[in-house]
Amino acid sequence: MDKDPRPESPPQSSPPRAPEPLHFNGSGAEYFGIWIVNLLLTIVTLGIYSAWAKVRRLQYFYRHTSVAGSSFDFHGSPVRILIGRVIALAMLIAYNYSVRLHSLLTLVILGAIAIVMPWLLRNSFRFRLYNTSWRGTRFHFRGAVAGAYRVFLLNGFLTLITLYVMAPFMHQRLKAYQHDNTWFGQTQCSFHARVGRFYVVYLLLLAAAVAFAFVFGLSGIGAVFVASSEAQKHGGRVNPYAVFRALGILYGGLIVIGVSIGPAFHALVTNLIWNNTRLGEHRIECNMSPFPLIWITVSNFVLVVLTLGFFVPWAMVRLARYQLESVRLLPAGDLQEFVAADPETIGAVGEEAATAFDFDISL
Amino acid sequence: MLSANYFDGRSTRVRVVNLSVVGEDLVIVGEDVDVRVPFARVKVDERLGRAPRRLRLEDGTFCEVRDLDALDTLLSATAHRDGWVDRMQRRLHFVLLALVACVALAAAGYKWVLPWAAAQGAQHLPPAVGRTLTVQTLKILDGRILLPSKISPERRQSLSDQFHALRLPGGGSPASELLFRRSSQLGANAFTLPDGTIIVLDDLITLINDDPQILAVFAHELGHAHGRHSLQLLLQSSAVGAFWTFYVGDISNLLAAAPAALLQAKYSQGLEREADDYGAALLMQNGMSPALLADALRKLTESRPGSSKGGYLSTHPSTEERLRHLGVLAATFKNK
Repeated sequence: MDKDPRPESPPQSSPPRAPEPLHFNGSGAEYFGIWIVNLLLTIVTLGIYSAWAKVRRLQYFYRHTSVAGSSFDFHGSPVRILIGRVIALAMLIAYNYSVRLHSLLTLVILGAIAIVMPWLLRNSFRFRLYNTSWRGTRFHFRGAVAGAYRVFLLNGFLTLITLYVMAPFMHQRLKAYQHDNTWFGQTQCSFHARVGRFYVVYLLLLAAAVAFAFVFGLSGIGAVFVASSEAQKHGGRVNPYAVFRALGILYGGLIVIGVSIGPAFHALVTNLIWNNTRLGEHRIECNMSPFPLIWITVSNFVLVVLTLGFFVPWAMVRLARYQLESVRLLPAGDLQEFVAADPETIGAVGEEAATAFDFDISL
Repeated sequence: MLSANYFDGRSTRVRVVNLSVVGEDLVIVGEDVDVRVPFARVKVDERLGRAPRRLRLEDGTFCEVRDLDALDTLLSATAHRDGWVDRMQRRLHFVLLALVACVALAAAGYKWVLPWAAAQGAQHLPPAVGRTLTVQTLKILDGRILLPSKISPERRQSLSDQFHALRLPGGGSPASELLFRRSSQLGANAFTLPDGTIIVLDDLITLINDDPQILAVFAHELGHAHGRHSLQLLLQSSAVGAFWTFYVGDISNLLAAAPAALLQAKYSQGLEREADDYGAALLMQNGMSPALLADALRKLTESRPGSSKGGYLSTHPSTEERLRHLGVLAATFKNK
């Protein structure tokens, strides 16, 4: 299916050096101060300040992430982000309004959104990467607009009409589009994961979910049988505890599957993506395990709910630390030799539209 | 003297340099670097946690400083002052103040802004929305919680006729549909659905057992229908649910329903008062005393003293206050 002509391992030009792990030294308590002050300013300004808050959030996380002794930086302008948010909000309103309309206008609006979206998403990649730097050298996204239409519109359509059988294929093509077109200064990144590997991850997760559902379903039904046979013995009265036990097994199973599948999938697919991404000759290694990620996600969720949201800064820091610190850069040569590209300017509109529509295309 | 890393903005090469302030200028000296620029033209990053701070020069070069306290000492010798947001983010008392202010604003938003916005929304939604919601609600409740009424058809017809003969304070007769149902769980109760349809339960009719007083309860429910209170509550709870889902994230769907369900149970004191006022006005319009509604309420209270299990009053809070208010309205009726 995949006709990627690139070899799996190119010849090494120089002997490999010591791996450079990513470090994250942010702290929840520190970030809480930034988060709450910016939240207050956002509320007081009826949301306008959220663009400035977002820049600060990204700067906090980028600047606390370092590799080879130097940290990353974010340079996005809040005003650009604000303009992007306004456009994204307008599209969101148009979308919500049109799906309730059930008329010809619905099709017109949805069609217009479908046509603009790939362009906006491609611009959002450009904006995000252009505004990311390490040691003063910026990243760039050089994907063509045509590629965005192929990846989002054509592949999206294929995925829908094949009832998501093509979803792993679409995912692989999207990542290839993103990573093959990413540059760090004048050094190009490349993506080497084949479609088959994506199918393996997707099928593995599907099999695990089905197996779990099967086990929980069987024990739940078993518990129901036990409860009803006991009830027959004791003159038709059903023991309420037995009923609770049966329901507990069924719903508990459902919740366990529901909360684990997302983080487990994220861990496996993120490993696959980054282990097969190279920056020039330098390799990247990502070792996220599903279980710690499930634990962090679930405990974060519980604590955020119990604290009515005030745990959010700690939750974000915890998650970022685990994810970032599972990544190592395996340098093939000197990290001092990257050269910056010529400056260019890019709008932020795309990125904001993408966030508002909640397409999870990051990382 | 302050040690820093210097980057030329054109490559990833790290150069170790020393920074110092001489007069009005920043002096950068190190491997192949010897720069002196007026400090006024240097842009200094905010101090974000323990992240390295950068001093950015106009030509795209910059110095990255890790010793933040030493940098603060250096900066104190210059005209540079950190921005006010930057300072607030780092001072414990401002952070606590922001925390208190956020909680207060969230509470105020929940208590005043949300009901106001929901009321505006309820007034402006097309009637078809209320109709659809009512049909869906009835589809779920009928046959499960709501069963067919056992009141005799003649009695129902008579109540229905009296209900439709009422004159509304704004003129015209009730557009609401009146439905009779029976429920073992909900007790003596009556409620209004999003399109204004009023459901009255058998227990309420047998308990009050006095047509004018039952009509007074209908008048109160017509107040809810007139104010579109049911739709307002629905909008309110779905807004809370949507916010919660957005805030907590993707696995929250199970929990998103919980606050919505909690909210749905109770009309606020304000909405009750509004419905009472409307009901009283309606009764007076029809030559009946607001005291009838007070009498009906009293019967409902006495039927379940101190009980919180179901019933009209569990969804209609603080009866004593309402009885007092209705007493005042009834007095004005007598004086006319």
